[in-house]
Amino acid sequence: MSERPRIATDTRERRVGLWFGLLCGVTLIVCTASLLFGAGAIGPAQSLDTLLRALTGRMTDDNAWFAIESLRAPRTAIGVLVGAALAVAGALLQAVTRNPLAEPGLLGVSGGATFAVAIAIALGADAATLRVPVAQFGALAGCLAVLAASRVRGAGEDPVRLVLAGAVLSGLLYALTSLVLLFDERTADEIRFWVVGSFAGRRPADVIALLPGLGVAGLMVIGIARPLAALALGEHVASGLGHRPRLVRLLVVVAVALLVGSATAIAGPIAFIGLVAPFVARALAGPDVRATLWLCLPIGAALTLGADVVSRLVVRPSELPLGVLTALIGAPVLVAVVRSRRLPTL
Amino acid sequence: MSFFNAPRTALGVIAILVLAVFAGPALAARTLDTAYGKVEIDGTPERVVTLYEGALDTAVALGSKPVAAVATRGGDSVAHYMQERVPGIAIVGTARETNIEAVVAQRPDVILASSNLSEPQYRLLSKIAPTVVPKHSYFAPDAWQNETRLFARALGREDKAEQLIQAFDERADKISAEVPAGTEATLARWMPQGPLVMSSKIFAGRVLAAAGFESPEHGDIADDRPHSDPLSLENLDRIDSDWLFLATLNADGESALAKARTSPAFERLDVVQRDQVVPVDGQLWTSASGPLAAHAILDDIARALGIASQP
Repeated sequence: MSERPRIATDTRERRVGLWFGLLCGVTLIVCTASLLFGAGAIGPAQSLDTLLRALTGRMTDDNAWFAIESLRAPRTAIGVLVGAALAVAGALLQAVTRNPLAEPGLLGVSGGATFAVAIAIALGADAATLRVPVAQFGALAGCLAVLAASRVRGAGEDPVRLVLAGAVLSGLLYALTSLVLLFDERTADEIRFWVVGSFAGRRPADVIALLPGLGVAGLMVIGIARPLAALALGEHVASGLGHRPRLVRLLVVVAVALLVGSATAIAGPIAFIGLVAPFVARALAGPDVRATLWLCLPIGAALTLGADVVSRLVVRPSELPLGVLTALIGAPVLVAVVRSRRLPTL
Repeated sequence: MSFFNAPRTALGVIAILVLAVFAGPALAARTLDTAYGKVEIDGTPERVVTLYEGALDTAVALGSKPVAAVATRGGDSVAHYMQERVPGIAIVGTARETNIEAVVAQRPDVILASSNLSEPQYRLLSKIAPTVVPKHSYFAPDAWQNETRLFARALGREDKAEQLIQAFDERADKISAEVPAGTEATLARWMPQGPLVMSSKIFAGRVLAAAGFESPEHGDIADDRPHSDPLSLENLDRIDSDWLFLATLNADGESALAKARTSPAFERLDVVQRDQVVPVDGQLWTSASGPLAAHAILDDIARALGIASQP
């Protein structure tokens, strides 16, 4: 009797491992594409040639190498980090609210980070490094507000109500952001392009500023993955297994704030990645939150970076704002989630 | 009715007589050819409201003292270069939106507007006072000269318009003589993710052309747009030319340059290596127009070239 479930678990784990490997391969391919394609005159063939020469140690200091090393490489790194962070944040939020529609962009977490950064810029903060803690703080406030809303009687059981509460909060926060921009035209100039999301023009130092926050969040997620899975079975079961549901929820909130805050600080608010990636991950791996979290890493990275590559190619010699593109991908998925099932609570 | 009207009529007659005595030779009524048809204006308008930066500049250059204006783009008052000339002027809106009630409160004799004033707005404004809308687009050749002539006619200072245009032409020719043939200049606005290239058809582009600079045309900018979309940093070499005039929407060109310098892609440009990047005031270079702005831009150009800056 005890054999059968274990075999089932083993095959499931193997399947998840297989998918994970496969998706990491896809992410690598997208990363390569990100190094090869750009909005400029340096095409994929020339880029490949330069890249191969650099790999064999015959580096040159020409325009092609400059475009790859100084322009495309940082945004590739940012794409991978931001995508993975947003996907994991989405999966965490969905697990803790038991709601497949919970998404940082929809629930006001990104809105909180955006508002905080807008205020910081309006007050004269110029350094990109300062934006990271400010955005994380804003995301934390947004997170807590949404979870408070989800505690309101009845809202916890109804996924759509949580999304409505989040939509109200998002609307409020974006209205406040607009208000800041109206009062301070200098901020408007600086922030106008930031709020539509972009990876362009970031420096390696900006990427490094993200690493501590993301590292801490990563360790926290490893620590809370198991209790979170237990929590999916119900609060009583989780308590019975020796976990503390309140502590787990708090840790999830902090981790989400760190992840979303870091991502928003460097790239601006990028919607729907936190919805789409966990949605795909669950379709591949089933409902186990640990498997979902693992698969979210490569899915989020490949999706976000892929969108960035497309954004460089569609309106050359300019670039499409990344937030526009992810919304175009994400909105149909949102509709599909709402329509296809009876919104199962996770 | 007539009881109340009679004294008023008498007062009116007296007022006209007094005006006729003090104003000297009264100006004849004249008909202006505007974008929304013929507009009749009589005498010298005293209370002038300008709803367009170019109109404010032109009116002041013509010697008029407008009572109200709109805020410059990216600011909450008139552009920096105008501030000393019109201290304490009332602000009745922004470049995008006019506060109609504030305009009414100014009791204008004439309203000077931009060529892209919409028809519904025009109908509202023309009920308040004769509203003068230039016929030709802002992007047309000689746009500011034609606007100067039109506004001068509206204000009854026609003779002054040709003087202003001629003074500009003479000074621009002097500078142009110092600029080697085929020297290219690009005007761009810096954004962290890439620059906006300003069209050579905007006012500052026309002034640059008058001062002898050529404009490298890339075809990136639609005919009716003041600038391109933000270029990808990979295409930054498109703003490379002999001279680069760099602005932000704010007045502070130096900070735009400092920001741009943090970008490695910017540092690679030839024009940066040659140190021929000129930080300029975005309010003046990318949103103003008119004779005063033309001279202020020529000042900047002369300073950049290191030639005598006085006209």
